[in-house]
Amino acid sequence: MTVFKYFLKIALKNKWIIIMYISIFFVMTLLNSTDAMKREETFVETRLNIGIIDKSNSELSSSLKDYLKQKNNIVDSREDEEYIKEQIFLEIADAVIIIPEDFDKRVINKEEAVLIYKDDRKPESIQIENQINKYLAFANITYANGQFTLDDVKEALNEGTEVRVLSNKGESENSRISTWFRYYYNFTGYVILAVYIAIIGIVMSDFRDEKIDNRRKISSKRFLEFNREIYLGQLTLATAVTSIFIIASILLMGRYFGDIYYTKYLVNLIVFSFSILCLTFLINNITRNKQIITTLSTVISLGTSFISGVMVPQELLGEKVLLVAKFFPVYYFVKINDAVINSLSEVRFELFMQVLFAVAFLLLGLMFSKKAQRA
Amino acid sequence: MVVKVKNVVKRYDEKIALDHFNMEVREGEILGLLGPNGCGKTTAINCILSLLKFDKGEVQVFGRKMTPNSYDMKRQIGLVPQEVSVFENLTVKENIDYFCGLYIDDKNTRKKYAEEAIEFVGLKDYVKFYPKKLSGGLKRRLNIACGIVHKPKLIFLDEPTVAVDAQSRNFILEGIKKLNQEGSTIIYTTHYLEEAEMLCSRIVIMDNGKDIASGTIEELKAMITTSEKIVIRFINIEDEVINAMYRIPHVIDIERNGEDFIIKFENGINNLSNLLNFIAEHNLTYIKLYSQLPTLNDVFLELTGKELRD
Repeated sequence: MTVFKYFLKIALKNKWIIIMYISIFFVMTLLNSTDAMKREETFVETRLNIGIIDKSNSELSSSLKDYLKQKNNIVDSREDEEYIKEQIFLEIADAVIIIPEDFDKRVINKEEAVLIYKDDRKPESIQIENQINKYLAFANITYANGQFTLDDVKEALNEGTEVRVLSNKGESENSRISTWFRYYYNFTGYVILAVYIAIIGIVMSDFRDEKIDNRRKISSKRFLEFNREIYLGQLTLATAVTSIFIIASILLMGRYFGDIYYTKYLVNLIVFSFSILCLTFLINNITRNKQIITTLSTVISLGTSFISGVMVPQELLGEKVLLVAKFFPVYYFVKINDAVINSLSEVRFELFMQVLFAVAFLLLGLMFSKKAQRA
Repeated sequence: MVVKVKNVVKRYDEKIALDHFNMEVREGEILGLLGPNGCGKTTAINCILSLLKFDKGEVQVFGRKMTPNSYDMKRQIGLVPQEVSVFENLTVKENIDYFCGLYIDDKNTRKKYAEEAIEFVGLKDYVKFYPKKLSGGLKRRLNIACGIVHKPKLIFLDEPTVAVDAQSRNFILEGIKKLNQEGSTIIYTTHYLEEAEMLCSRIVIMDNGKDIASGTIEELKAMITTSEKIVIRFINIEDEVINAMYRIPHVIDIERNGEDFIIKFENGINNLSNLLNFIAEHNLTYIKLYSQLPTLNDVFLELTGKELRD
């Protein structure tokens, strides 16, 4: 087992790369998880500053204005797009609503009834939109025989639902724990990608160096036996790296395992690790240039992690970005981590896709390997 | 016969690297493969060792056809490649142990062999050094240690003294002699004439992928017409006298090399006394005179029309 022994020995000589990535990982995880733990999950309605330009002056539009005045502070505005945009930009108004002349008709026909200027990046924009939608929905329901029953609308809007919260502590705690695991395991995917490609690639480029490989070729070590020891070395190294993250999650948050579906993260990470090991096999059969390998390690790990939702949640990524991400196993890995499931069968497609990628990488790697042997 | 190469042809696209190359290596000898850079020496070795596929011909090692899967034969073979081929990330000891491990599984035997190889190449004080910390000569010694650590019967040394200092060079050459005395058959490629003359029992001269001559040094020298060269420096000599020197028995050529004249004789006796008689007859004065037997360079020059040193 000399080859196996020296594979691990050379890998350990590059331990600083592993330590560096793991350190970055824990710093990033710590930052992100702290942020995630603190993230707002409750929503309290506050009074906003809004401007209203009523061009309809109908009974319905007056009723809407009254309703909005009840809940918000009214600021002066005028029908000038530049002026309105400036008011929003300078935060003089959180939103400006323009009620068109044919307002009543639009409400009856369920068309877009008002024009709202707002800053979509702010949660306030959702609040004002909700208030208007709520009013219009109720108004629409009361429309009968050519008129609105505005008293009913007012009554319905004033009606409150008594919600008695017995305890929301456990639920929000659970959600925080899930968020921590989601972030932790998503970032683990990024580090595994980077470390596998870099470390295994660097070690393999030493073993595949033409001069050194020629010495192996004229030796009495059988090719299959040599490869067996090399792949055993890769598997051992990969298992060791993946285990570090699993053990760390047990040490950090093991006490919460009962509150989450941990099997999902564990199985997903193992399948993903195998898929990335196969990707490493493919890369090592394409190039043995150390510089290219370290560049690929950075580009692939950062690139695919970003577009697949490791750094930014998949919900916030564009459709086209996600479409590209679907061609990488990281996308399916993140999707499983983000999913709320009770059984692995619910993510069988994502698991299957990762295995499919592993098989594809293996076959491509074998093809390149054969090609290199023939050359 | 330990190695037999018969009519091997190796092409790289249009270029012929080996052109019906032949070579025989006998057990216990040091065979020198001599030729200028780029003449095909390394290609020949790579074909013999099945590191390269060849287009035509036959190679036998230990009486059997050599293939990439001849693992039992490979156990008996060692290669010291032209370029230093070791792991930069492993120490001297680890490198030797790794390459020994490609042949020997038993840990104790490997340890013993590695220690002997370290002793043999004189790297005992450097076992924990990484190759990048070693001088060029010490790296070469490590390269040799990695190739011979498993005690092979047949050793290929491909220009092992290129770019090394005089001290390491002598150390390496002495080591090769010692390996041969311990029973190893050695194939030694070089373009250094002095090394080939000093070390090899037989020599194969190569040029443009062909074996142009082979034999012992004496046999090779006997192949050429020049059997003796006398170098002389006269004080004032006229051209007619130089032309008259062609009448001395057995003189075949006279070359001028700066102020010296190199007078070449074909096989004959009393060449020096005949020249001295001529000098006395013509009242010539000289300040330098010595006789030389032909060198391998003369052999190469006469066989190929060019100097090996080029």
